[in-house]
Amino acid sequence: MQSYQWDFGAVLAHWPMFLQGLGGTVAISALAILLGILGGGLVATARLSRWRLLRGLGRVYTEFYRNTPGILHFFWVYYALPVVADIRLGPLEAAVIALATQSSAFYAEVFRGGIQSIRPGQWEGAVALGMSRRRALVRVILPQAARRMTAPFVERSFEIIKTSSLASTLAYGELVYQGMQVASITYRPLETYTVLALIYFALLFVLSSLAKLAEDRLREA
Amino acid sequence: MGYQFDVSLVWRTLPVLWRGVVVSVELWAACLVVGLALGLLVALARLSPLRPLRVLGRAFVEFFRNIPALIQLIWFFYAFPILIGAQMTPFTAAVLGISLNTAAFSAEIYRAGIQSIERGQWEGARAIGMSRATSLRRVILPQVFRRMLPAFTNRAVEVGKVTSLASVLSVQELMYQGRILSSTFYRPLEIFTTVGLVYLVMIYPLTWTSGLLERRMARTT
Repeated sequence: MQSYQWDFGAVLAHWPMFLQGLGGTVAISALAILLGILGGGLVATARLSRWRLLRGLGRVYTEFYRNTPGILHFFWVYYALPVVADIRLGPLEAAVIALATQSSAFYAEVFRGGIQSIRPGQWEGAVALGMSRRRALVRVILPQAARRMTAPFVERSFEIIKTSSLASTLAYGELVYQGMQVASITYRPLETYTVLALIYFALLFVLSSLAKLAEDRLREA
Repeated sequence: MGYQFDVSLVWRTLPVLWRGVVVSVELWAACLVVGLALGLLVALARLSPLRPLRVLGRAFVEFFRNIPALIQLIWFFYAFPILIGAQMTPFTAAVLGISLNTAAFSAEIYRAGIQSIERGQWEGARAIGMSRATSLRRVILPQVFRRMLPAFTNRAVEVGKVTSLASVLSVQELMYQGRILSSTFYRPLEIFTTVGLVYLVMIYPLTWTSGLLERRMARTT
C-alpha cells in the first residue's frame, strides 16, 4: 500500500472559511448560553414553585429535553415549529432557539441543584429577620448557591459549544458546516476533519483551562 | 385556520420508525459494551505507575471529551478510511466513533470509582496474598461497579442520545428514518414529534432507574 501524502497546506489555505465558521460557532453558542441562563432561571423558578401545576410543567420540560437527543430539537425547531407557529425561521434562528431551549432545561437543573443544596436554616434565618421569600432568595440563598453552581455552569456551557456543531445539519455556517465545504472543495477530508477536530480541541481546552484558573481564584477569595 | 395534526400518519409510519428503533438499540448496545470495556483499559492506563501510559490515557480522555461527538463520527467515516486505506460501513464508523467517545467518558467514572475505594481494601487484599491484578479484579472493581452504577447508567443515557448522530452518516436508525419520512410526507410536525416521543419512551426508563439508584445509594451511605 502506498503511504498517504499528507497535505495540510491545501486545507489551511482556506483558513478564512474556518475563521468564519469559528465566528458562527461562537455567535450561536454565546446567544444560546445567554438565553439559556435566562430560560433556565425561569424553568428553575417553575420547578421550585409553590404551585403544583407550575412544578409539573417545569418537570415535563426538563425531562423532555434530558431524555431526547439534541439533534432532534434542531430538526423539530427548524421544520416542525414553523408549521405550528406559522412563522419563518432561518437556520441561525432555528439553531439558536433549539440550543437555547435545550440548555434552559440543563441550566435549570444547575440552578435547582444549587438552590436546594443550601440548608433550610438559611431560609428560616432570613425569614426570621423579616425578609420576604423573594428577598431571601436574592440576598441570602443565591449568593451562597452561586459559588457551588460555577463548576456545573461552566461544564454546561462547554456542552453547548460542542452541541452547537449540530447546527451544521441545518446548513448554518458554523465550524463543522464550513469544514464540510472545505473538505468538498479540496478533496482532502482527512486533513480537513483533523484540522476541525484540533480547532475544537484548542478552543475547548483553552476555555476549560481558563475556567479552572478562575475557579481556583474564586475558591481562594 | 388551525393546522390539522394527522394522527393516522403517525400510525402508518410507526412500522418504519420501529425498524429505526431496532438499529438504534443495536448501535446503543454495541457502543456501550465496547465503550465500557475500553474505558476500563483507559482508566487503568491513567492510574498506571508508568508515566508514558498515564500521559497517553490522559491525552485520549482529553481529546475525546473536548471535541464534539459529531466530528468524531464524521472523522471516522470520512477521514479514517483514507488513513488505513480501507472502506468502512457507516454502522462500523459510528460504532468506532461512539465507542471511543464512551470509553473516554467512562474511563473518568472508573478512575473516580477506583480512587474512591479506601486504601485499606488494597492492603487487606495484599495481606491475604493477592496480586495487584487479582485484588483489582476480585476486590476493588466489584465495589467500583456498585458505587458507580448511577454514573454508568447516566452514561448509558448519554450514549443512547449520541446514537442519533449516526443519522448524519446515513445509518438507518431512528433519527434517520424520521428525517426520511418527514421529507417523504412533508409532515415534519407529525413525524418529528413522534420521533421525539419514541426517544422519550426508549430513554426515560433508564433515567428513571438512575434516579432511583441515586436515591437508594444516598439512603444506604
